[in-house]
Amino acid sequence: MVAKKIRTVTDVICPFCGTLCDDLEVDIDIKEEKVIEVRNGCQIGTKKYFASNPSDHRYDKPLIKEKGSFKEVSWDEAIDKAANILIKAKRPLLYGFSSTECEAQGKGVELAEILGSILDNTASVCHGPSLLAIQDVGAPTSTLGEYKNRADLIIFWGSNPVHAHPRHLSRYSDFIRGYFRKDGRNDRFIVVVDPRNTHTAQIADIHVQINPSEDYELINAIRAILRGVEIDADEISGVPIEKVKELVETMKSCNFGVIFFGMGLTQTLSHHRNIDAAICLVRELNDHTKFLLTPMRGHYNVAGANQVFSWQTGYSYSIDFSRGYPRYNPGEFSSVDVLMRDEIDASLIVASDPASNFPAASVKNMFKYPLIVIEPHHTPTSVNADIILPPAIAGIECEGTAYRMDSVPLRLRKVKEAPGECLTDKEILEKLIEAVKKKKGE
Amino acid sequence: MAEIKLKLKKEYEFPLEADTITPDAFAGKSAADIKKLTVYHGNEEKTIGDFFDVTGEGGELNEIKIIVDGNLSNVKRIGEKMSGGEIIINDNVGMHVGNNMSGGKILVNGSADDWAGAMLKGGELEITGDAGHYVGAAYRGNWKGMQNGLIKVKGKIGDEALTWVNGSKPAKRFPTLICGAAGSFLGIHSHGGTIIVEGDCDRCIGADQVRGTIVVKGKVARILPSYKKLGEVEEIELMNGDIIKGKFTEYSGDHSVEKNHSKIDKKTGEISNSSNGRLFVAA
Repeated sequence: MVAKKIRTVTDVICPFCGTLCDDLEVDIDIKEEKVIEVRNGCQIGTKKYFASNPSDHRYDKPLIKEKGSFKEVSWDEAIDKAANILIKAKRPLLYGFSSTECEAQGKGVELAEILGSILDNTASVCHGPSLLAIQDVGAPTSTLGEYKNRADLIIFWGSNPVHAHPRHLSRYSDFIRGYFRKDGRNDRFIVVVDPRNTHTAQIADIHVQINPSEDYELINAIRAILRGVEIDADEISGVPIEKVKELVETMKSCNFGVIFFGMGLTQTLSHHRNIDAAICLVRELNDHTKFLLTPMRGHYNVAGANQVFSWQTGYSYSIDFSRGYPRYNPGEFSSVDVLMRDEIDASLIVASDPASNFPAASVKNMFKYPLIVIEPHHTPTSVNADIILPPAIAGIECEGTAYRMDSVPLRLRKVKEAPGECLTDKEILEKLIEAVKKKKGE
Repeated sequence: MAEIKLKLKKEYEFPLEADTITPDAFAGKSAADIKKLTVYHGNEEKTIGDFFDVTGEGGELNEIKIIVDGNLSNVKRIGEKMSGGEIIINDNVGMHVGNNMSGGKILVNGSADDWAGAMLKGGELEITGDAGHYVGAAYRGNWKGMQNGLIKVKGKIGDEALTWVNGSKPAKRFPTLICGAAGSFLGIHSHGGTIIVEGDCDRCIGADQVRGTIVVKGKVARILPSYKKLGEVEEIELMNGDIIKGKFTEYSGDHSVEKNHSKIDKKTGEISNSSNGRLFVAA
């Protein structure tokens, strides 16, 4: 009998974007414990699997920076040093968490509470504004399966799924055949609202090309027209009034509509007020037909981070434990703002790369103070860190729970072993909690 | 009059949360007792005495006058939930000054950071410099923001002032903001606020206003499409009965909000103006 060289794992959940596709098949070379083939995944998801293979870009041992260069150390030494930094800090920042699984996120909350630190996840630079709006005016939303089976009007507002969520269109929103949408794409009407002629706009039935950062005015006008108000203007946000009226008719006359919104709405000029208005619009559209909306979440488990943080602290992001109990105020406790004001004195970054995404001035302030990262790859953040703790990649090298963009929890699968001495995020955070507790004498 | 002087003696490294600097907390206390009150510095509990020199002593709540000196630009929450007395701050002050106060007076001789006078329930907050974002706003997720009282800012204020402000004529609650100039989304989701801007305003003012009055004596960057122009007026009657004279263009709105107050008659197209939100811009 010939020995098997390849192990195939099926029904794998892809830990890349918020679409959380659950039908991947991964082939592993048994001898070398390497990913050699990924089927069904999109380009970016597939890349993540290949990037997990041991390489020059992957850390496999804990590292400590000494005199400008990294030195390999034992786990005990690295954890001890990290715990010392965190205990000494009077205003530490714990940030990231959106690209790891929920159990590790829970441990992050525990550590933040013990340390009295600021706790934040990547929602604060992506869909945080959506959460603010939801806290103000609620959110009529549903799971993706409903859209797949029922929706005949799909609006992508400020989102570009062709590039950001490549399989969203074929799995839930556009080409897929649903129970009441038997003819797939032909049974749906696609509208894209975007200042740019994106690839999503090119496959849409209507592309509403609006002026950048004027989304609020357009939503406001749509709401007014919907309520029968005559608007005294030729164009709104660069869109001719006739086209706006046409759009309102399209919205009113569909059977089941949905707005998928992305960074184009949350991170442009009016931020959470765009979402606030969009939610009010959807609420009012329900007087005429069935209408819902769903944020296009980026990181595969940023929805999970919001869920876990809300469940354990009452707040979904931007949390301050400095008084021993959780307090919430984006703008005051959100990571970019505290870094811009230079208010922290140490940071622990888990599964995130703020140096690539935050404003340069805030990153400079972060690098001024001790920086610990739990990060599998070489990134602009990790190469500037003082301590690097290498984790197994959740969803590839360890199990865990993740929440899809519509807040449906799915169980991630382990497809291969982690290289070197890598531990899971959860184990690393547990070790840190234990060390901190011991040093504090608790 | 019981006068208490606080002078910052030590520089703070992190924001100092001093919600104990209120007449309510100082009432009936000696200087030594006041020094023992808690302030928060980073994740440590400290006392007022660690950071401030304290002279004078507290008497009756309404008789108390607190004078704070020194660099206070990152001292937060002074005057939180105060119900009487007076605070005079002789410098720029940090976030949340006078939030949730229900009585008394705060005078800031300088500028204030974000959330000044947030969710005010009464009393008066005066700022001689500028103020940050969310002046008199509702905290996240609250559906009732400022409910009464007066905020006066001489300079410019930031975005989203007086969100979810909630006034009522029958209950005689007239939450009012007077400022030199304002940022965007002034009075968003207003339910009966009175806002007077001496200078210019940025975009989207009065968005989602259900009831209330906004008077702008300067220019507005862009008026929302859901506002309807009514005509010119020479005199404005505010909710509390005060009169403002001058030439203004009157708008009604926000008509994108579904509330009975902003009714438009479907047959005649007439706008019920009595209970609708109003915006006046200098003509």
